[in-house]
Amino acid sequence: MSQPLAVKTENLGRIYKIRNNRKEKQRELLALENVNLEIREGELFGLLGPNGAGKTTLIKILTTLLSPTSGQAWVAGFDVTKQPAEVRKRINMVSGGETSGYGLLTVRENLWMFAQFYGIPSPEANRRIQKLAEIVGIADRLNTKSSDLSTGLRQKMNIIRGFLTDPEVLFLDEPTLGLDVGASRDVRSFIRRWMDENPHRTLLLTTHYMVEAEELCDRVAIINQGRVLACDTPARLKQNLRHEIFFQVWVIAPRLLDDYSFLQIPGVKHFHQFPEEDSLRLEITLEEEAVLSEVINEFAAQSARILRLEKREPTLEDVFVQLVGQRMEEVENVTVSAN
Amino acid sequence: MSLFPPIEKKRSGWQLFLMTVVGRSYPRVVGMQRERSWMFFDVFLPLLSVAAYVFVYRAIGAPEDYVGFVVVGGAMTAFWMNVLWSMSSQLYWEKEQGNLALYIISPAPMMAILLGMAVGGLFATLLRAIAIIAVGSLIFNVTYAVSSFWQLIAVFSLSMIALYGLGMMSASIFLLLSREAWHLANLAMEPVYLVSGMYFPVKNLGFWAAAAASVIPLTLGLDAMRQLVFASGPTLGFLRVETEIGILIILSIVFVTAARYLLAYIERLAVREGRLTENRR
Amino acid sequence: MQKSINLRSFLTASWLGWQIESNWTDPFLFATYSIIKPVAGAAILVLMYSIVTQGNFDSPVFAYLYLGNAFYQYVPAVLTGVSWTIIDDREHYRTLKYIYTAPVNIPFYLFGRAVAKFIVGTFGVVITIAAGVLFLNVPLDWSRVDWPLFLVALFLGVLMLALGGLILAGITLMTARHSYYIGDVVAGGLFLFTGAIFPLEVLPGWLRPVGYILPITYWLELIRRSLVGAVAEAFPTFTALSNGDLLLILAGSSLVFGIASIFIFRYCDHQARERGLIDQTTNY
Ligand SMILES: Nc1ncnc2c1ncn2[C@@H]1O[C@H](COP(=O)(O)OP(=O)(O)OP(=O)(O)O)[C@@H](O)[C@H]1O
Ligand SMILES: [Mg+2]
Repeated sequence: MSQPLAVKTENLGRIYKIRNNRKEKQRELLALENVNLEIREGELFGLLGPNGAGKTTLIKILTTLLSPTSGQAWVAGFDVTKQPAEVRKRINMVSGGETSGYGLLTVRENLWMFAQFYGIPSPEANRRIQKLAEIVGIADRLNTKSSDLSTGLRQKMNIIRGFLTDPEVLFLDEPTLGLDVGASRDVRSFIRRWMDENPHRTLLLTTHYMVEAEELCDRVAIINQGRVLACDTPARLKQNLRHEIFFQVWVIAPRLLDDYSFLQIPGVKHFHQFPEEDSLRLEITLEEEAVLSEVINEFAAQSARILRLEKREPTLEDVFVQLVGQRMEEVENVTVSAN
Repeated sequence: MSLFPPIEKKRSGWQLFLMTVVGRSYPRVVGMQRERSWMFFDVFLPLLSVAAYVFVYRAIGAPEDYVGFVVVGGAMTAFWMNVLWSMSSQLYWEKEQGNLALYIISPAPMMAILLGMAVGGLFATLLRAIAIIAVGSLIFNVTYAVSSFWQLIAVFSLSMIALYGLGMMSASIFLLLSREAWHLANLAMEPVYLVSGMYFPVKNLGFWAAAAASVIPLTLGLDAMRQLVFASGPTLGFLRVETEIGILIILSIVFVTAARYLLAYIERLAVREGRLTENRR
Repeated sequence: MQKSINLRSFLTASWLGWQIESNWTDPFLFATYSIIKPVAGAAILVLMYSIVTQGNFDSPVFAYLYLGNAFYQYVPAVLTGVSWTIIDDREHYRTLKYIYTAPVNIPFYLFGRAVAKFIVGTFGVVITIAAGVLFLNVPLDWSRVDWPLFLVALFLGVLMLALGGLILAGITLMTARHSYYIGDVVAGGLFLFTGAIFPLEVLPGWLRPVGYILPITYWLELIRRSLVGAVAEAFPTFTALSNGDLLLILAGSSLVFGIASIFIFRYCDHQARERGLIDQTTNY
């Protein structure tokens, strides 16, 4: 036997039946299809995907809020549909932007209340609240009514709620939503510390921030349109791209460049352009360095003047592009009909 | 030193049940402390509307004991309102706000959460019931003639158990529906007042209608209480008090058990349909 | 320009209110829902009456109480319609802050949102009256109804109630969401004073003045006089006053009420902004 599995899914699928109004016929929407994941105990696992990819749906299934329409899933060794009570003793969940708790209660009171639902005796609950608040940096706001909190502070309160009950498996759905750069960094280092301290803790996190997945996660699953396209450590995912060369180029051009003529050049794999304030940023993927000279010639042909050109290391974003053929922010999740 | 020490001992079973009740009633109790406006709206104004029914009886020249009937009925209305608005419909708000999902994924039993909501609102309810009874005696000179104190206690407790059991059953539909259920709860006011005989002896509905109405625990509870506290009560009563106590015992057991199974069943249904987290309609 | 904003606020809100009010179920269920509540409410009084009087429905007392109760349904409907919108938009749809930042006239917006409740309320009133005429000998003779008086009184009354709702909306802006409809409980409380289901003489002397202050009292008397003159004459409360006097009093008190409500709403509104309560959520 290898290490015990904290989360396991087998051909997991979920179809939503949707109807926009009473008269319309029901349609089916495929939110998850054939998902097979194995997350080991002690792993910090990331789910990376664009809006509507099915991340939240997967988390809902694993936290016993939604049943799958096909396949099976286990959390901490228990079947999520057949033994929800056992699963619930061992998990907790925090979603970005959630508005849970009661506005008339203070932060401390809200957190204490949730601790009660997990059977944590009050003295211990209060000790932990104090300590977690100090780490997250909202100790001075513990006595503020939660309706008076800013988005960021509220999210920190939610995050404390998740860690407060010391779950075996913790689900974080976009935990840094609404946090500024500094606060996100704090939260990330907090998550890492929590994980490092005890090898039996497992954490599943969804995000659409590449950096978050890259910096934090032991393994990442890339998910799009309900399907898991790849699942490995960030390093190994990027390894697959070792034959490709990534350039970032800033040019000044009279108008947007003609993508097509660049993609025509043999050896150019991807070409994306992003207008910035007074220049145009280009993300170019090549099969070999030698192609670069032809690309530069094409710039001249389209009368674009190069400001800066740099070669860079591949990122998870490039992995996504390789898998989906589009950049993450370009993916339009058109409704997928099951039949 | 470890920053996040593991939790020594998490409670479970009945201890968890009690902690959950306390935990969920806390916001209600504290909320009422911090926002006093309910005193006027939830205690004083309902007092006036009960008084209106008293004066209707005066206007049409009813026997004085009917005034007492209205007072007792009005006091018991408070508990039905507590069941409907602090327990059942409250679940609608919890769902809209995202708390319901967190309750479901916690190991806390749903019945304890519901009970917590009701217990938290019980203070206002009791205050209202007591105010109505007090005003009834002081201003309307209602005279009580309690024939058996112990039976009265038994009837009241049993009606409450059955009533809150029924409330939990109706709360379960909120797991599945949202705004629709809110309307259904709203609908359960006047018709329930009507059939449970809040303002008149239920006997007057006729035997079969009264028997059907007895499914609502308030009906027999009120009827028995009136028989026990008013001199003319027994002549206007529907069934013998002992029989009514017997039926109330059965209702209590059935409703509380049914609530347990129904909550579990509807939760499974809601999980399947993905209704636990859907909101904003 | 200002006028068009008011009108647009009102119309858009009416449309929105109707969508919200009617869209939660299919029309059949909606109709049933709209009927059961008022019919059950009336049936309580009918049973109380028939138990005590052994079913003497021909007495003017019965018509008095039946019609008073039927029309009183407008009071909770309009009061709640106007004031509950604050809670619904603030805590449920969380759109109140956007309404506030949009070029919308808030009172007109609130009135608009109440239109749906008014329509459903009207439905209830009509059903109740029809049941009374068909089954309970309520002496309503269509040929002898004073229609102009009825319509003017109804219009003034609804306007007055809407302004009353505005006061409650103001209060709601400053208070938490409790578990009840503020409009309904206030209506329930005023039921006692307005002579809706019994003449004011039944009240002890020290409570009667409250009834004389409330415009609702005069409104209900006017409605009774316009629909069933004979019944109204059987009760002495306002015999000294002619229809014109009553209309004048209703209009006058509505005006005073209206001015007060605008000031109260403005005050509460100002306070709510001052204390940052516009987008609070007060679930507890
Ligand atoms: N209750 C529901 N009923 C119908 N369709 C739903 C429901 N919940 C989600 N969907 C649909 O399922 C798909 C996946 O949604 P999901 O919320 O899992 O995406 P996500 O990856 O979490 O996206 P995001 O990054 O925007 O949070 C989407 O197309 C969404 O519209
Ligand atoms: Mg999501």
